[in-house]
Amino acid sequence: MITATGKSHRVTIRGVDEPTATLMVCVVARELRDGQVVAFGLNADAMLSAAMLAQQLHAPDLRIRHGLRAERGMVFGAAAWTDRRDDDSWRRVEYLEAHDAILRTANPGSPMRFCDVFFIGGMQIDREGSTNLIGLKGPDGRLAVRGPGSIGTTSIGTLAADVILFSPEHSPRRFVETVDFVSVPGWKRRAAAGLAGGPRLCITSKAVMDFEDGSMRLLSVHPGSTVEEVVGATGFPLLLGNDIPTTPAPTDAERRALGDLAAEDFRA
Amino acid sequence: MTVGLSGFSYQNPPMAIVRQIIRRGLRDLTLVSGPTAGIETDLLIGAGCVRRVVAAGVAFERIAGIAPMFRYHAERGDIEVWECDECIWYVALKAGAWGVPYLLWPGGVGTSLPELNNELAEIEEGGRRYLRVPAIRPDIVFLHAAEADAFGNVRACRQAYLGRSFAERALAEACAGPVICTVESIVANEQVVAAPEWTVVHGALVAHAPWGAHPGGVSGRYAPDLQHIRAYTRAAIELRRGNDEPYRRYLDAFIHETADHDGYLRAVGDHELRSLRFKAA
Repeated sequence: MITATGKSHRVTIRGVDEPTATLMVCVVARELRDGQVVAFGLNADAMLSAAMLAQQLHAPDLRIRHGLRAERGMVFGAAAWTDRRDDDSWRRVEYLEAHDAILRTANPGSPMRFCDVFFIGGMQIDREGSTNLIGLKGPDGRLAVRGPGSIGTTSIGTLAADVILFSPEHSPRRFVETVDFVSVPGWKRRAAAGLAGGPRLCITSKAVMDFEDGSMRLLSVHPGSTVEEVVGATGFPLLLGNDIPTTPAPTDAERRALGDLAAEDFRA
Repeated sequence: MTVGLSGFSYQNPPMAIVRQIIRRGLRDLTLVSGPTAGIETDLLIGAGCVRRVVAAGVAFERIAGIAPMFRYHAERGDIEVWECDECIWYVALKAGAWGVPYLLWPGGVGTSLPELNNELAEIEEGGRRYLRVPAIRPDIVFLHAAEADAFGNVRACRQAYLGRSFAERALAEACAGPVICTVESIVANEQVVAAPEWTVVHGALVAHAPWGAHPGGVSGRYAPDLQHIRAYTRAAIELRRGNDEPYRRYLDAFIHETADHDGYLRAVGDHELRSLRFKAA
């Protein structure tokens, strides 16, 4: 959750300490490029913070699709609703779009492109980057734990040019060999369905991973974590390079820009 | 019977109608809600009115990642879930609206959706794979909105959070029967004519029901009552743990022991309601 309290700006992610949450937001921001459209859905406040950070630092024309097409600046809060009594976000709307415009703009060929970069989470994420928001299987193979549902992830996650997985939790129950159900297909399932590519990165509270030949590979380990810890927290064998660096800590410029985000808050 | 309901996350659910459906004791409904549905769907499931849910997700953002009664009854097998995502949900309604038996959609291939939802099929055409998504036509659609005129022109509110409109039009266009919309206020036709771009549905049957989305919110009018939804969620979680008393008490206090919508509003309390109203509204 983002707390914008006038002067200071704190980034928090549930279940993650503040320095790590800040680092994760910086890692996400570094992946966003000027002129892109970034999209994410419910419960994605950290993504919003990261996108705004990127706008401050290196991507002034990054467009943020957080519930609607708001291209200049963004409002802190949930995608579809607010409980802020003095909300005046409607004064900033440039373009009205019904939710089902997604059907026209999700097509990768659409000039009104829905997004270039899409962030996905999951109850489970597997070795090849498939994600699951549907539920968990019981011993009898039937759905035993009901998930929320695929929400908007399936189609956008399939059609977006660049998909990044984001999971605050990094544990063996989250990172499994094979997801119980597939909300969004990863590398091998995509190939089997005739689709090129797959998710590019996976960012967690412990590490950053990418994919090699459709299999997750450890790219860097966050300060305070170790390769052994990450390997132990992952329910499948991670590909490991010879030299695994530490994820670069937030720079002074990133910290300053995060602090400045408060000024971007329309209430400030 | 297939019932379409407005409501995205916490916004614009037709709760006055939902509570009346529960008072009437309707059973075995198929709900087409959301596509990311919330309290309207969860409450109808919890009250035993639902057999099947057509939604891409049922969640209480920031309160419960998975809506509690949806989770409980899906896990027990009491309800079926028409597994889909938001795009597939809309595609099914488009097919219904256009009068075609199905549409092809490029999303959802390579997923578990066809395995879990036997009405979806992955097919190949012209060397590409698609999901074949069948038409869905609700028998009746219930909406809640900020305002409408006496001619059934339903309008979004200028002051809506980020200017959003949701699935109202997609549901109404696919509906085989009446579209019924409760509204916060009835406005003059002149006002509608002066700014027709705010009309999202026309030809609806309109009923005046202020606070008709509570405990959900109405874009531009009032915020969702998160405190109320938290209390509801606590009661539902108790039920999942084996104590159904708090949930039954919720249904009694706010639905069965209130004769109608006015009775419900009295049970909630004027002060609680007024504290939710937006300053600009």
